[in-house]
Amino acid sequence: MPGRLRTDGNMLDALVSQTANGLVLGFVYVLIAVGLSITFGLLGVINFAHGAFFALGAYVAWQLYQLFGWWAVILAPPIVGVVGMLIEATIIRRLYGKEPLLSLIVTFALALLIEALIRYGWGADGKPFNPPPFLSGIVEIGPLLITKYRVAVLGITIATLLALWAFLVWTPYGRVLRAGSRDPEMVELLGINLPRVLTAVFGLGCALAAIAGVLAAPLWTVSPSMAANAVMPAFVVVAIGGLGSLRGAVVAGLAVGVVTSLTIQFWPEAAAASMYVLMFAIMLIRPRGLFGERWERFE
Amino acid sequence: MTRMNPQRRSLIRTLAGVAALSAVGWSAAACAQAEGPIRIGLIYSKQGPGAAIGQYLQRGSELAVEQVGRKVLGRPIELVWLDEPNPQVSQQNMQRLVDENKVIAVVGGNYSSSALAMMSVANREKIPLILTGAAASEITGKSCSRYTFRTQATVPVQMKGLMPYVSQLGKKVYFLTASYAFGQDILRSSRALLKENGATEVGVDEVPINTADYSSYILKIRQAKPDVIVGGLVGGDFSNFMKQWNEMGMKDKIPYAAIAVTDTDFWDVGPQASTGIYVKPWYYNNPKNTEVEKKMMADFTKKYNEPPSDKTWSGWIGMRALLESIEAAKSTDSKAIVTQLEKWKNAEGEIPFFFRDWDHQMVRPAVIVGVKKQITDKWDYFDVLKNTSASEADTATAFGTKEEIGCPMPAL
Repeated sequence: MPGRLRTDGNMLDALVSQTANGLVLGFVYVLIAVGLSITFGLLGVINFAHGAFFALGAYVAWQLYQLFGWWAVILAPPIVGVVGMLIEATIIRRLYGKEPLLSLIVTFALALLIEALIRYGWGADGKPFNPPPFLSGIVEIGPLLITKYRVAVLGITIATLLALWAFLVWTPYGRVLRAGSRDPEMVELLGINLPRVLTAVFGLGCALAAIAGVLAAPLWTVSPSMAANAVMPAFVVVAIGGLGSLRGAVVAGLAVGVVTSLTIQFWPEAAAASMYVLMFAIMLIRPRGLFGERWERFE
Repeated sequence: MTRMNPQRRSLIRTLAGVAALSAVGWSAAACAQAEGPIRIGLIYSKQGPGAAIGQYLQRGSELAVEQVGRKVLGRPIELVWLDEPNPQVSQQNMQRLVDENKVIAVVGGNYSSSALAMMSVANREKIPLILTGAAASEITGKSCSRYTFRTQATVPVQMKGLMPYVSQLGKKVYFLTASYAFGQDILRSSRALLKENGATEVGVDEVPINTADYSSYILKIRQAKPDVIVGGLVGGDFSNFMKQWNEMGMKDKIPYAAIAVTDTDFWDVGPQASTGIYVKPWYYNNPKNTEVEKKMMADFTKKYNEPPSDKTWSGWIGMRALLESIEAAKSTDSKAIVTQLEKWKNAEGEIPFFFRDWDHQMVRPAVIVGVKKQITDKWDYFDVLKNTSASEADTATAFGTKEEIGCPMPAL
């Protein structure tokens, strides 16, 4: 039985350690997926270029780190957010209310363009990027092994998600966003400048992609095509969780992380397929995803 | 429906324009090839995970052309570079090079799957194809072709060079290989060699291509407690693994040994995380490099302000072999070029190398390198340990006999 656990190591240890690892990995997926989910939920645009903004975040962080040191990397997400807003105002805006297929094609082209620009500007080679010295090292508790850097990623992800949730639920701005996503005409009738709000939303989605890119940079190779490996799980997470649902993205992200980890441990031959099987099963039972609601605009 | 008309009209106009333009292009190309420049095709990745590799291969081929003053047979050389994104498109691009660009030969092909697809066009169109990567055995084995030549050593040859080092590192081996043809080739050839070297297999993971996170695999390896890992991951997959191996504190705990890596994989990862023992076709900072190779390195460094990777060498030697064979053939006739490639030999170093006429595999030792304990230079990551074989006779043995290779070489 090639690939299975061959040592006498405790099965339970392996189970506990892989589950914990899967949960941490799941939070990274959640962070990548949540920006995608918000852009769709509030703008109705499936942003295929989400991964390109993820890569752009990593590259901007690398550049800032080279120029100013570690603390400057926190500027990367706002910078990418502004780039996103400019792109919304010039290109994405024209896609609202059109066929979803059109937004897929345009954002796919945008993804290729951004990747090519990164390659043009920073070169085709990857950039070495490791966790900062104060976060390197591992923590071992019984069978659990987790790196300090992943603990930090976990903390930042949870803080970001909480802040986002509080913003959408408790601030007047968040209320405008949620209302605008359901009934744009009514919101405009109330005297709110909706186009400006939508620009900000797209920027927010891009900034979230960039946060994920910055956090992933020390884990995954920083290269122009780095997004490809990371974004596929994000699409799966969004599909499982339900497009536009924050809660769905969290539950689905953690599920995908844990399922992937456990399959690698106990059934490695199925590792590549496991998350798609999970998606397939959930789509069969709930075609809109776990927490997907009925949206008048898309029915 | 009336609204469709302007669109349709503009579509027709565009099509007519394209047709007119390409007709001009074709007739120009047809005229040009008799007298004007000699066109040579390149097929290397321009985008996606293989882009960095493609760039170094292309720069190597380009340099070989520059070094002969951009001329062959007294006529200017024109290079046409198309992409190698996947087998289908690589095959179409090969066809385009032949039909539209009227190339007389093609250098390229880093991936075995694309290489096999391109070979079918080379065969049908009778166009010499020099593969500068693509390690799968069958390319010069059961699928060998009269018009295809390959510079890189096959997986079994590279593994034979690596395994003695692996057994020095320990007897309990864990395999972490790609779950496609290349990885399976590694598993097959290593398992056959394990017994000879007194080693045993304690685990194996075949990793799907484009895996971003290796933490679960690393946890498994930790539980299995092997003495050494034999790896078979490529490009971005390898870089991701290496980075996380270091991040999870495993770098100095269990040694890693692998084949078919390239310098850029390590430049992507950085000195902090790099570790292991590897088989590569060439290394720029090898004291045993020939004078001609040192000149190539100097020319490259002057032009790009960084040293050449082993992929540069592959692109360079492939193009050199082709240009030298065209000169020797005194003609652009493909049969004459193939005949000369079969006779081509490079005797600049201690061990001469050449394409074996009965399978078109370049017979040349690869280098075994180890990552330095302390990396102080931005580019220089390795100490050269030795060659995979030490003499001409050993090299010939390592590449296998006619019976072992099983190439049914067709007539020209």
